This record gives sequence, structure tokens and C-alpha cells, in this order.
Amino acid sequence: MIDLLIIGAGLTGLWAGILAGQKGLRTRIIATGHGALHWTPGTIEVLGYLPGDPQPVKRPFEAMERLFTHRPHHPYRLVEPSALRAGLTAFQQVVARSELPYQGAMRAEENLFLPSPVGAPRPVLLAPQAQAAGDMRRSEPYLIVGFHSMRDFYPTVIAENLSKLGHHARAAWLSPDILTDRSDVNVVQLAQALDDRVVAQRLAAALKPLLRPGERVGLPAVLGLERHPEVFQLLEAELGAPIFEIPTLPPSVPGMRLAQALRRHFEHDLQGQVDLGMTVSGFQTHNDMVTWVWSQASARAVKHRASAFLLATGGILGGGFHSDHSGRVWESIFDLPLAIPQNRSQWFRPTFLAPEGHPVFRGGIRVDAGFHPIDDEGRVLYRNLYAAGNLLTDSDGIAERSLEGIAIATAKASIDHLFSSR
Amino acid sequence: MSTFDWIPPEFTLDQCIKCNICVAHCPVAQVTDRFPGPKYAGPQAQRFRMPHQPSPDRSVDYCSGCRVCNEICPNDVSIMEMNAKARAALVAEQGMPLRNRLLGRNELMGKIGSYAPRLANFALHHPVSRLAASAIFGIAREAPLPTWSTTGTFLDWWEQHYPHRKRSHKKVVYFHGCATMYYEPFIGMAAVAVLEHMGYEVIVPPQRCCGLPMLSNGEFRAAEKLYDQNLEKLGPYAQDGYDIVGTSTSCTLTLKEEAPHLLDRHEVISRTLTGAVWDIFEWIREHEEELPQDFIDLSLTIPYHQPCQYRAHRVGRPSVDILRRIPGVTIHESGARCCGIAGTYGYKKEKYDIAMKVGEELFTFILEEETHHHTEFNACDSETCRWQIEHGTGQASRHPIEVLAAAYGLYDLEHRSLRNPKHAITS
Ligand code: SF4
Ligand code: SF4
Repeated sequence: MIDLLIIGAGLTGLWAGILAGQKGLRTRIIATGHGALHWTPGTIEVLGYLPGDPQPVKRPFEAMERLFTHRPHHPYRLVEPSALRAGLTAFQQVVARSELPYQGAMRAEENLFLPSPVGAPRPVLLAPQAQAAGDMRRSEPYLIVGFHSMRDFYPTVIAENLSKLGHHARAAWLSPDILTDRSDVNVVQLAQALDDRVVAQRLAAALKPLLRPGERVGLPAVLGLERHPEVFQLLEAELGAPIFEIPTLPPSVPGMRLAQALRRHFEHDLQGQVDLGMTVSGFQTHNDMVTWVWSQASARAVKHRASAFLLATGGILGGGFHSDHSGRVWESIFDLPLAIPQNRSQWFRPTFLAPEGHPVFRGGIRVDAGFHPIDDEGRVLYRNLYAAGNLLTDSDGIAERSLEGIAIATAKASIDHLFSSR
Repeated sequence: MSTFDWIPPEFTLDQCIKCNICVAHCPVAQVTDRFPGPKYAGPQAQRFRMPHQPSPDRSVDYCSGCRVCNEICPNDVSIMEMNAKARAALVAEQGMPLRNRLLGRNELMGKIGSYAPRLANFALHHPVSRLAASAIFGIAREAPLPTWSTTGTFLDWWEQHYPHRKRSHKKVVYFHGCATMYYEPFIGMAAVAVLEHMGYEVIVPPQRCCGLPMLSNGEFRAAEKLYDQNLEKLGPYAQDGYDIVGTSTSCTLTLKEEAPHLLDRHEVISRTLTGAVWDIFEWIREHEEELPQDFIDLSLTIPYHQPCQYRAHRVGRPSVDILRRIPGVTIHESGARCCGIAGTYGYKKEKYDIAMKVGEELFTFILEEETHHHTEFNACDSETCRWQIEHGTGQASRHPIEVLAAAYGLYDLEHRSLRNPKHAITS
């Protein structure tokens, strides 16, 4: 029997798997499919906005107390700030070993402000090295380069919006023929095309004449998949200018790189195992312990026994919760009690981009200090069941720009509790 | 809970959130412009597919059926099944090439060739006939077609040896499939040897092709006939509580799920058969406590590819779990999505190049293993995948059951034969 079964292969699940593996726990991850990393920008956002405040947060750690006045049960409340800091440092160390270094203004604990696919500032604490030079706190003028016929990436829109924010920015277009002779390609195929050194050199040659002295170059996030570090270095060396990637609409190449690096580390270095295509559809308990869960399979359900279980299936967006037409929302595996409006009319605020966010995205599972899901009276439901990540209540990762911070912090804290209670 | 809470594949299209993860990972869309990708061919095009109306696009025929999309979709969309049904509708509408009809009938082809295997091998693999097959039928000249067994079929061997094989109160039914029957009887021998070594008496009832080649070529009606015959022949064993194990992971998947799902067969007997069928390593893992421990130290590093069809069982990695128990065996998993062949897909002239490009990631892995670890063979659970891997890398490929049989000293891995073919343990 294994020590720990993690359900969910997003950042929370993978990171928890790595931490458990480092502690020598025999750990397995199962999930319905790839997690949200495959469509999120690959950055680590810790806290970018406070509820109701349109101004972005500059120093996330300093803003925590203000966050808690709005969100008294926020998942960050369950984690010591020092543990969050340590978690982020550990994360940086692991990804750096996988040749995927992450940077940030960690010493000053300040957010970077990176251009989004429409040129708006995204407050992030840690960014892949290949995105860091886009930071709006820096002063070099921007040259944003896109490819004709590439969907969902418009350098002129990005440059215009950057200019409106007071930056010097201009746009340029290149022919997609530089990268591929395919007629209709997605970002992943472009990234794979660039894994070829010859193609990367061709791109460098095409960029050179466009570049003016002192500029930094923003490109869609397609600078290689498997050979990304080499592609990035080659371009920087050839151009002699800072280069940065701007994440694209889903799928997300930087997110895929991160997911790949974490999964490889977990499976190759820590003897873990990740199996996708496994949807958990039931569970068995004995006294107040979960004995096994089962997942749907081709002929008969597969039983997964473990000493402990970590639920990391995400919230509404990640697929951890289901709902029906009436507005009832439930946690999809254990039917854990949810602190979430159970009536459709209370799900949303009237305006789509309401700065307070929407109640339905904020709701989730309540846990005790040991990360065990609890019921309305505060009683622990199952002694060997833990929950971490964005299914926890009282946070809205997307509106707050805190998805990855919550994932890393709660993955660490829950594994620490799990380990010490063994 | 029940695994039979079955939702028709078309109904899952609303679960799609258009995240494009499937498009990013579809091995076919990655290498060709001819296929737009799972999201477009599946949940998106499905909105335009109406009963009694012409099919909106033909590109769905380029889906290889590998099910990588199903495996990774975060929202459980039954993409591959949607595509398969759409292809069947196309076939019903526009008919199908003779070539696909031939490829769908691998049981018939196997049988014909087995009457004069040497002649058949000569004819099938001769460059001139391959040229003709390519020109007339559109079967790719270089395609890794199989070789008929020249030492008789599996059934020939079984009928000759059955009277002396092991008898036991523990019994298990063996489904050999067409490939073991006509091309690789030694896989069946290895399976029988291992099952007997575990203390079981093996039963090999009459059986038909599982029907997968027809299903994946869109010939649903012909496939259903085979399925009905298998229900008739194997159903009674399932009803009597016997487990039915197979060494071809795509056959077992078809009997378990693909046939009943695509053919909308959910009656009691069909569900009973589904519940009785196991891939052989899935079954061995379930019966692990019965696995004898008298292993020989094999001192081998084996690169292993879990076929996409095996992953589609969604039972984890049973072969790896078991092979890792053999002393001295190190398994290196490929992590590759698909070898490219996808059943009969890569045999087709217009798809051969696509299949080879899809297979590249796996071929590279195998060849790198060969360089770094001096491996002499690799392992894979599916026959067409093994032939494709051998074709793409030049390295021999073995079924994991051959490795397990060898680890008990029952089987010669190099010559692919039982060490003592007459060996019978009667109890
Ligand atoms: S992976 Fe699933 S949800 Fe995402 S686009 Fe494909 S079918 Fe839709
Ligand atoms: S089954 Fe395979 S080839 Fe077909 S759409 Fe899915 S991933 Fe692509």
C-alpha cells in the first residue's frame, strides 16, 4: 500500500507530490486529465489584487493583513508567512534544477508587473526567467513582435495598451514561414518548431534588423518546449538584447513546461507516479478513515488504497466541484460540505468584471488547522483526508491573482501536517 | 457506485471548456495539417452533426483513435468516441475503400495466410506485391505488416497440447486474438505457461476477432456481428464466473468497452462479459498473491512503452508493476504518447508518414536507451505497436508476458519459444 494518494494533477497536486516524495513517502497522483497549469501562464502569482480595490498590490506579504480583513478564512491564514516564503524558495530550487529557472524581486518581496496578452499589467511574484524582462517596472522601450496568421496574439494591441500605460512600445510582425510551413498551427506546435536550432537561428536573424538599440523584445510564449532553455539563450545571445515571452491564450506553453518539469522530477527523481484519465467516482470509509477511493475504468472500477489522501482537484474551474441547473454546488468526490451559495441567483454579482469577484468562485471547502476538511460544526470528517489548493474556501484565486501562491503554500502546509501526524 | 453509469459520448460535448489541451497533445494534429485536432473534430464539430444530415467534414477520418485526448482532457469529454461514431456515419454515407474493408478483416486475412504461411509471407512481403498493394489498395509499401507463423497457428499448438496441460480447480479463460492466433503463437504459449505456473488451468474456447479493426475503420455493422458471436461464445463463461484474460491489450479494451460503447450495447449479457474481461497483466496484478516467487535474476534493462490502448483501460501500469518484481529487471518507461500505428492506421498509404512522425518521440527514446544502456530489446503490450517499434527502430520488441515467462525459466526470450513446449503439470 502506498503512503499517500493525491487526487489532482495541477500545481497543488504535483507540488504536494514532490514535497511528499522528498520526505520519502510513497506517493501517487491520479487525475481526470491535465491540470490548470496547461492553460495558465506558468507564473507564480501570490497576491495581485485585494477585494474591491482596482489598484494592484505591490508587496504581497505586506498586503496579507488587509486581505484577511475581507477574507477572514482565507487559505493564507492557515499558513505561516515564513512557510509561504520557504515554500517559494523551495519551488525556485526545484525548478532551477530542471533548467527552468524562476525569477522575481524576492528579496524586496515585490510583485513584477508583466504584460498580459492584451498588454495589461499582471502582478506576479515569481516568473519564469523567460518572462521576467517584460517587467513594467523596468524602463527599456518595448518591441512587441508577433506572427501574421497566429491566432490570439496581436502585437499592435499589446503595444498600444502598453503605450497608454506610459511605456514606449511599438509593434512588429513577422511571417510565420520563419517558424513553420504548416498552414494552421497552435502555440505548442510553434514551440516545438522552435526546438529546432536552425529554426531558432532563423528567428534570431529575422528579429535582428527590427531591433533598435536599448529595446527589449516581447514575443509570444512559444520559445521552445523541450529545448526551451537553449532556445531562449540562443535568442538572447544572438540579439544582445533582453527577450521576454508573453503568455498566450490557452493552451499555455510556459504552463506546460512547468507541468512537465514538475512531473518529471516527481516521477524520475522521487519514484512517484502520475496517472491521468482516472476520474475518482467513489470512496470507502472505515470509522473516521478513508480506506480507498475508486476511479472509473474500462470494465470495473479501480481501487486505490493509501494511508492518506490529499484532495487537490481545484474549485469550480479546476473541476473539483460540480453543480446542477438549480444552482446546487457540491464537491465531486467526497461530497464535502461547501461554503458556497447554493442558489444560482447568488452566484454572481451584476457586473462581469466586478472588482469584488463573484461569490461562487470564492466558496469552497473548510479545513481545520491540520488541513482536514471539516463540517459546519467544525468537526473533522476523515482523519486521513487532507485538502489543499484552490478548492479551499474564502479565496478567489483568479480575482486576487493568488492561484499559484495558494497552491504552493497549502500543498506545503498540508504535507507538513500529514507527515508529522504519521 | 457502478461503472455502468454510461453517458452517450455525444452528450459529453457540453463538458468541453475549449481549453485546447487536447489539441496541444494530439499526436496526429501535431504532425499534419490534415487533421485539425480533437477539439475541432470532436466536441466542436459534433454540434453540426445531425441525424439524417450529411457529415460536415471528412478530416475526422484522420483521427487515429489513440485516445490520448480522452486521457488528458480535464473534463472527461469522450472525444475519441465522438470521432469514431462520426467516421462510421461517413462510411455509412459514402461507403469505404476496399482497402479499409481488407484491413478490417484481419481475422480472415490471418486465416487465409495460415494455410500456406511461407507462400503468404513471400507474397505479402515481396517488394513487387507491396508495390501492387500500394498502387491498387493504398496499403503503404513500407508499412510494418506482420509475418505469418510458419510453425502453425496458436490453436494448432493448443489442440495438440491441451490434453496434457495442467488441470486445476482454478480456471481462467484465455482470449488470444487474431495476432497470437496467426502471427505470434508464442505469445499465447508464454501466457499459458505463466497462467499455469500461477496454478490455473487454462481454457481456450472458440472465439472471434474482437472487431476493433472494423470499428476503427467505421464498419460498425460488421463489427457488431463479431461482437454478437463473441457474446455467444464467451458470454456463458462470463456468466459462470470465469475471468477472461487477453494478451492483446486492444482486443481486451474492445471487449470491455469500445465495442459496447460504440455499438450501444448495454444489455445484461454484454455487461457481464465486460465485467469478466481483463488484460493479462491487469489480471495478474489483481492476483498478485498467487504469483510464484521462483524468479530467475534476469539482469536486464528494458525500455517499455505502454501502448495508448493500454492507457485507455485506465488501470494504471500493470505490466510495469509486475515486471518490477522480477529481480535484476529495470524498467525504463517511454512516456511517449503513441507509436503512431494505432491499429491499422499507419498501414494506409496516405497515413503512413503521419504514423512514422507520430512514432518519432518513441523511436528516439528506444534508440537513446540502446545507446546508453545497450538494451537489446524493448517491451510493449500490443502487437501492432511492437511491429511498428521494430520497424521504426530496428530493435526487437517483446510482449511483457514473454519477459515474465522467461523470468520463470519457462521461455526463451531470444528465440521466442517455450523452453519445454511439452511441459505439462497435471494435478
Ligand atoms: S481537452 Fe477537453 S475540455 Fe479541453 S478543449 Fe479538449 S475536449 Fe474540450
Ligand atoms: S484519438 Fe488520438 S488522433 Fe484522435 S483526436 Fe484523440 S488524440 Fe488525436
